[in-house]
Amino acid sequence: MLLTITGYAASDGLLRETYDRMRARPMPPAYNPGHGGVPGIIEAHSLDPEVMPLVFGTSSTLNGAGPLRWPERELVNATASRLDQCFY
Amino acid sequence: MIADPRAVAARWPEPRLRALAELTCAVTEAPWTLSRDHLARAHAAGLADDDVLHAVALGAFFGHLNRIADAVDVPLDYPVRREPPRLERAVPRFLAAPAPVRGEPALDLSRREATAAALARWQAYVARPSAALDERRRAMIAARVGYLLGDPAVGAGAAGGADAAADVIDRELLELADRITLAPWTFEPESYAAVRALGFDDRGLFVPCVAATTAGVRSRIDVCSIALGR
Repeated sequence: MLLTITGYAASDGLLRETYDRMRARPMPPAYNPGHGGVPGIIEAHSLDPEVMPLVFGTSSTLNGAGPLRWPERELVNATASRLDQCFY
Repeated sequence: MIADPRAVAARWPEPRLRALAELTCAVTEAPWTLSRDHLARAHAAGLADDDVLHAVALGAFFGHLNRIADAVDVPLDYPVRREPPRLERAVPRFLAAPAPVRGEPALDLSRREATAAALARWQAYVARPSAALDERRRAMIAARVGYLLGDPAVGAGAAGGADAAADVIDRELLELADRITLAPWTFEPESYAAVRALGFDDRGLFVPCVAATTAGVRSRIDVCSIALGR
């Protein structure tokens, strides 16, 4: 870890409230981490709880909507991640 | 995980997926290299303009997630069937755009009303000054990222990078913006040392990172939209 991540268990105040809102969003089971907290990519934004819903609100309009179908969206995401060398 | 997205773009049997991979490679590596030929190939492969716009916006957005994941170094927290490949820090940086991309946009994000509105709210928040970073520095970072990606909307002041810097903090912030935009895989503790030495803590470091990645989403979409019409 290069910058601090405050996970769900250690969160309080605005961060905890924001995490709870994030957890309440409908999400495909494939995106639910097994550890019971919120996905790491959401926690990666824990240094700024205010930006978190803005980022993932934008995500919903792209990852939770068409016209591209889910496998096509995954292809786009996986392609970008490989070239950015992001292996999260 | 895709081992070789360029091979998917070149050889995948389904033309639609091949075209999506080709588009996303360009969106990610060098958006200014797109042209009307790419759009024509996408159309021939069965992608409508709205499909292309979706791919561009999604690829650009994922560029933010990838960069934040790398800048923070978030650990893997889900089971994987295959181990991810080894990080290759020596891979050369993405190239900066040689010149701003000019022309009439072939695509318009306003066709995705919800995405345009959500991105506008996100951008407005990131542009707002805070104790961690004033308005000028936020705008400077956004302009630098736009310049790197070939965004014609940024002013000439961003061009030289170091020229836009009024002091040592500006210089280090621009270097951070360059790293996160062109080589997000190179982050290591040392990458933050100079900015930390200037008084930035983790919360303070996260702000310019997000300022740069947010600007990257916007500029990438705009540059692709124009480049696909040339």
